[in-house]
Amino acid sequence: MVDFSHLTKAYKKKVVVDDFTLSVDVPIFGFLGQNGAGKTTIMKMIVGLLEPTSGTITIDGALSSHPIFKKKLGYMPETPYFYERMTGMEFLRFCDELFDNTKSGDTVTARTSHYEEILKKVGIFGARNAEIRTYSKGMRQRLGFAQSLVNDPEYLFLDEPLDGLDPIGRREMKEVMLALKHEGRKIFLNTHILADVEEICDEVGIVHRGKLLYAGSVKAFCEGKSLEERFMEVVGAHEKQPAHA
Amino acid sequence: MRNIWIIAKNTLKLEIRDKILYGIIVFGLLYVFFTLFLADLVLKEPSMVKAFGLTGIYFFNAIIALFLGTTSFFKDVDRKVVYFILSKPVSRAQFVLGKFFGLCLVLLLTSAILGVAYVGVVLYEHAGFDWIGLTAIAMQFLEMAMFLAFAIFVSTFASSLLSIVYTSGVFFLGHIVSQLVTDAKAINLGGIRLWLIEILYYVFPNLEKFDARDFAIHVVPVPFTSFALAVAYSAVYIILLLTAAVWIFDKKEI
Repeated sequence: MVDFSHLTKAYKKKVVVDDFTLSVDVPIFGFLGQNGAGKTTIMKMIVGLLEPTSGTITIDGALSSHPIFKKKLGYMPETPYFYERMTGMEFLRFCDELFDNTKSGDTVTARTSHYEEILKKVGIFGARNAEIRTYSKGMRQRLGFAQSLVNDPEYLFLDEPLDGLDPIGRREMKEVMLALKHEGRKIFLNTHILADVEEICDEVGIVHRGKLLYAGSVKAFCEGKSLEERFMEVVGAHEKQPAHA
Repeated sequence: MRNIWIIAKNTLKLEIRDKILYGIIVFGLLYVFFTLFLADLVLKEPSMVKAFGLTGIYFFNAIIALFLGTTSFFKDVDRKVVYFILSKPVSRAQFVLGKFFGLCLVLLLTSAILGVAYVGVVLYEHAGFDWIGLTAIAMQFLEMAMFLAFAIFVSTFASSLLSIVYTSGVFFLGHIVSQLVTDAKAINLGGIRLWLIEILYYVFPNLEKFDARDFAIHVVPVPFTSFALAVAYSAVYIILLLTAAVWIFDKKEI
């Protein structure tokens, strides 16, 4: 279970995440919001890239930024950047080595097979020995996803994982996420694409201007309307409130 | 320690694939071999080969240190590659130290390549195996390591371009500051002007402590105390600079 307790992040006087409180215990949870809503900031705080101004994030009772917890976590940043002169395979190996998986007793060959399996899963096995600078945007997204899987994480935090992918790529990645869900992994994803949320998320959190406007199932949120229509209604109603006028 | 080594190894692997680095090394090697002709033109003496060769190695290593120190760390942070690293069980201190030691390994490699070429050229001139020259190159390496630590420290809060400006400035001041104090005393400069020069002397590193080229040229062994002092001096400066770099980077919003 992931618990956000009064989470706040402010840059000087600008509050980006505002008293965010939420408990999540579903296989796939989607943070839905416009660009700049605060979704990426929340995810960066979960994985320890940013320190909250106040409040806490705990996962299974432990602080999410604790080094021990980081071993159980996979993270894919938004629009991932890589070491351009590395190959996809070398990048996975580098990421894996940072987890100190040598203690697991795996041989180099076993780890290499593990990387190959991941690259096959995300569909870039054929380009494994090509330098990353030759990869297309979609291939970079897939590699970003692949590196988040090297440590067999229990929790995956994916920031806009389907951005830049063509329709076939989007379909394939969604299938991979659903397969991971069936393996028992918990997935958090940030997105502003409503159709993706509707299709794969068990629950959603609507984030607007750093505030949580709704958390729960997509079906309950929609109230018989389309997700887009309801999203516009909720965000629009929040915009009209005096504090935001 | 393990993560520091992994990041250092990765930094070395990436930097040695950089074509700019190859270009600088190739020019460095050409220069070292070219000293044979330069020496012939001047005095036809091995001492000239040593003087030109060691100065050339110093110059090319300084370019490499400036190029690596001001770009490598900054690019990782600016291009957000660091997100992949710091979201794993890696502390910011480990990242800073890993980058520093990785860049030191690159400099060690380039110093070794240019050093072997230098020793070969000196042997060709029938001047024997130049141990003193190698000691001078080792002391130059210590200076460059300080240079790298300073560039990384500046990169934690400034852009790559500013880092080049600050690092070059410190490099320049570091070489003239001891001479400034000597000259100021020689002309009986007093008051606030001497006081300011003395502040500069204590704030900026005295990089002249790392210059052992004259020992090699005149075939006089480098005194152990000079070498030990250079090692201790660079170690203290590097520790202080990296501690400050870690402290700033720890507070930086990335």
